[in-house]
Amino acid sequence: MAEFSIIGKPLPMTDARAKVTGLGKYADDLVVPGMLFGKILHSPYPHAHIRRIDTTRAEALPGVKAVATGRDAPHPYGILPIGHDERVFQTDKVRYIGDNVAAVAATSLEVAEQALALIDVEYEPLPAVFDPLAAMQVENPEHWIHSNKPRNIEKEYHHVFGDVEQGFAEAEIIHAERFYAGEVTHAAMEPHATLAVWEPDGRLTVYSSTQVPYYLQRTLSNVCEMPMSHIRVVKPLVGGGFGGKSEVIPLEVAAAVLAKKARRPVKITYTREEVFYAHRGRPISYMDLKVGITREGRITAVEARMVQDGGAYCGYGPVTVLYSGNLLHAIYDIPAARYDGYRVLTNKPACGAMRGHGTVNMRFAFECLLDVLAEKAGLDPVELRRRNLLRAPCITANQLRVTSYGLPECIERVVERSGWTAKRGKLPFGRGIGMACSHYVSGAANPIIRSNMPHTTVHIKVDRDAGITVYTGASEIGQGSDTIQVQIVAEVLGVRPERIRLVAADTELTPVDLGSYSSRVTFMAGNACLEAARNLRAQLFDAVAKKLDCGPEVLEARDERIFPRHDRERALSFEEAVAAALEAQGALVAKGTYAPPEEARGGTFKGAGVGPSPAYSYSAQTAEVSVDPETGQLTVHRIVVAHDCGRALNPLTVEGQVEGSVYMGFGQAVQEEMIWRNGRLMNPSLLEYRIPTTLETPLIESIIVESHDPEGPFGAKEAGEGSLAATLPAIASAVYDAVGVRIHSLPITPEKILAALQEKRRQAASQTRNSGTHPGGGS
Amino acid sequence: MIPAAFEYHAPKSLEEALRLLNRHGSEAKLLAGGHSLLPLMKLRLAAPRCVIDLGRIHALRYIREENGRIAIGALTTHTEVLESPLLRTKCPLLPQTAWEIGDVQVRNRGTIGGSLAHADPAADYPAAVLALDAEIVAASADGTRTLRAAEFFVDMLTTALLPGEILTEVRVPVLPPGTGTAYRKLHQPASGFAIVGAAARLTLGSGGKVERVAVGLTGVAPKAYRAAAVEKALTGKKASEKLLAEAARHAVPQDVELLSDLHASAEYRKAMAVVFTRRALEDALARAQSKKR
Repeated sequence: MAEFSIIGKPLPMTDARAKVTGLGKYADDLVVPGMLFGKILHSPYPHAHIRRIDTTRAEALPGVKAVATGRDAPHPYGILPIGHDERVFQTDKVRYIGDNVAAVAATSLEVAEQALALIDVEYEPLPAVFDPLAAMQVENPEHWIHSNKPRNIEKEYHHVFGDVEQGFAEAEIIHAERFYAGEVTHAAMEPHATLAVWEPDGRLTVYSSTQVPYYLQRTLSNVCEMPMSHIRVVKPLVGGGFGGKSEVIPLEVAAAVLAKKARRPVKITYTREEVFYAHRGRPISYMDLKVGITREGRITAVEARMVQDGGAYCGYGPVTVLYSGNLLHAIYDIPAARYDGYRVLTNKPACGAMRGHGTVNMRFAFECLLDVLAEKAGLDPVELRRRNLLRAPCITANQLRVTSYGLPECIERVVERSGWTAKRGKLPFGRGIGMACSHYVSGAANPIIRSNMPHTTVHIKVDRDAGITVYTGASEIGQGSDTIQVQIVAEVLGVRPERIRLVAADTELTPVDLGSYSSRVTFMAGNACLEAARNLRAQLFDAVAKKLDCGPEVLEARDERIFPRHDRERALSFEEAVAAALEAQGALVAKGTYAPPEEARGGTFKGAGVGPSPAYSYSAQTAEVSVDPETGQLTVHRIVVAHDCGRALNPLTVEGQVEGSVYMGFGQAVQEEMIWRNGRLMNPSLLEYRIPTTLETPLIESIIVESHDPEGPFGAKEAGEGSLAATLPAIASAVYDAVGVRIHSLPITPEKILAALQEKRRQAASQTRNSGTHPGGGS
Repeated sequence: MIPAAFEYHAPKSLEEALRLLNRHGSEAKLLAGGHSLLPLMKLRLAAPRCVIDLGRIHALRYIREENGRIAIGALTTHTEVLESPLLRTKCPLLPQTAWEIGDVQVRNRGTIGGSLAHADPAADYPAAVLALDAEIVAASADGTRTLRAAEFFVDMLTTALLPGEILTEVRVPVLPPGTGTAYRKLHQPASGFAIVGAAARLTLGSGGKVERVAVGLTGVAPKAYRAAAVEKALTGKKASEKLLAEAARHAVPQDVELLSDLHASAEYRKAMAVVFTRRALEDALARAQSKKR
């Protein structure tokens, strides 16, 4: 008999039917009686003092029920305890075009828009700074974006692991280069929306498109000066987050403040332009990277410097810059590394967490550099990687614990499937293949707000008709976490998934889960579901054991029956088992929790908290491209990706996640970029900010590699982010294979390719002239 | 986004439309396929007091041969141009161009008259009508007048149409034997607009000599233009790959003000104008040669 009956099956997602039929409800679909429409007034200046805000004209407009300013919500907040620098509405100064100044709630959207125009704000513009390298040079404290952040440096980290000098001394080939990555954003299909309902008993219910309902509840409690128990946050269906909904977004607070002030329900939905300005995406990154290897291709030392353009507020910034440094490790065997990371403030919208948080741009730089080093060492890029693999289990130089490591198999599988050996360096000019690797955490081992609490808790209740309800705080945002949790519970209890109803992400009903970020949900909520289901099963087994007069330890639950392992015919149906247990104890409930083990929580140096995870996923990829050398136009034909997810609890959703990661990596690699002019976004629409369409997206072939992690639920690790980062350098490597130019600046646009080709021709011509072999040369 | 409030009229005849246009003057905007005007209104970049929807004037929707030219009604959609057997045989450059416009939805709604009257610097038709020496007919309360394509495009989003005039018809020639045409374009992938679009028309004479050639370029400059220096470099010479490549290098005259935007810098546009001019000429030549045989 197969090991599992539900785990490993490609089941469709539990919410698929609601979504594809259009019956599912997202935050903006929700309508309640008496609901008002909210709109936010944004700053037209990138940096300015606010001298006066006068709302009297707006308040006098018929249909306006509330106007809110900073006076209504003076408390600062921010996702990180060290970064409470945001207020929902600014009172003293604005720090980016789009910063929030006031909001109105009115009986219609039209009236709300008219009212915004009637709010009088007097600004006194300040010098603004838009480039992080320039921002770090601002000496005048009057011009710093936050007065307590000298020279606009939000945070800097300086790490040294191992003997870096010795490492470079031992290196026989050293290469150093500067890399650049432009800014990208999540572009989730669903714009942010929040409906805040003021309840008759003076409590607040907030329906919001969020990845972190419990952080939202906590923040609203502070800002609205209400106990957490008086605020209920409900997450309806969410149409994609990718990190863009993983911290509190101003409209969520604005809707709550307006609802409280108007004593009415208030809904705010961002326009697409507002979504772009709310941002929290991946920052502009300047990266200086130096890597040394021996002639045999062993990495001896790494030196990396990262400057990130964080925008005007802290957000997740310090975490982003720490991921960039700390996850240089845990993919290859790196004995020594120095990292200098700077998170810098500029007068633009705040950056934040975006799929592959902090790792993507640095991974691009690192893998591109490996491609150069392989060539210098006369090695196949695949072979260079083979020579630097970890041997798990192990602890990295920066104290990350690696328990399972499917990277070697990922590499071999893509090499085989892609036809690498027959293609690399052997395709006709204009066509090329490249490869790269990446990895990611399966959940942050340390919570954002340090505590010893579990990271997640799950309750299970079984009713008299043997219907099972799972109460989980975990936030389904389209990644399939509801489905995975149902599968885990169904597997343990031996029942059909249809028997299970999952209630998720409702702070009044479900126990705390930290949220959908850092690819933690399958691993952590999955482990909590596993424990809760086992606890519940133990109660069932006790009752069944009495009925069957056997020990509970010989029982097995499968196919809707509970039976002694050696005597399968003596079975109780699941319903009979539940009835037996209810007779005995009247209620059938259980809970499970998960917190990462002490050993997985990393070192003690400053900044050691970011990067540790109970397990790491791995990915290897090849990209096959063609480049038109006359136009620089790049076409990516095919990406072969192998992802080590520990165990595929649901291969259908794993493949979906891996393909989605590659798709986003592809977009950033070749075409997505936010373009800023003096703090104004030049492309705040999906027409101008070009996420790829299906027409441009290459064929993606995904291969699942299963390394069975000892800590993961049924051996599972993350699948939603780890494959993103490898796509970018794999494409860059393929461009080099196709036309012989290295583009180390993202996105890899036709113009950059063409300029590099022209430069290469110019150099070749001048070399030919200098060597005197040119027919017209020698003059 | 919601457009600002506006008055809406849907006349059923050209006469009625002209009367409405006279009455509302500069406060009115004409609506054809709506693919340019409606987005501008939704973004509040345009907020006309009054919209005159020409969509119900069915009399302006035709493609027919008249006096050795082909007349196309202003409300003819891109799909109708693309699928017209008459144009495909006698003036294939227009269908070739229409095929490259936007996507299926845009081609089904957008009209040739609307596109030309809007004069977007990245629109496709302007290159083709220039290369075809097309005539453009404008109607007003005082009657009709005919403009040459070369005088029609004045500047970015600006044409020679006068207030009170409605573009009613485009006339293109029946191309002589030995003529090949082609439209080659570098797409802006999201919108489908031309970063560079080159329309070429080339007639071979005796001995493989270029008897007549015309090249229209769009996307490069504030308005579409004829690449006169390219034409001069080819006319009367024996066609060859080398000659075309040499000639294409003159695609962007010194005095042309190059466009530069998010999608392509001025230098890139200039380089691509040369590449796509050459490619269009190569295709046109190959077609001319195959017809000769």
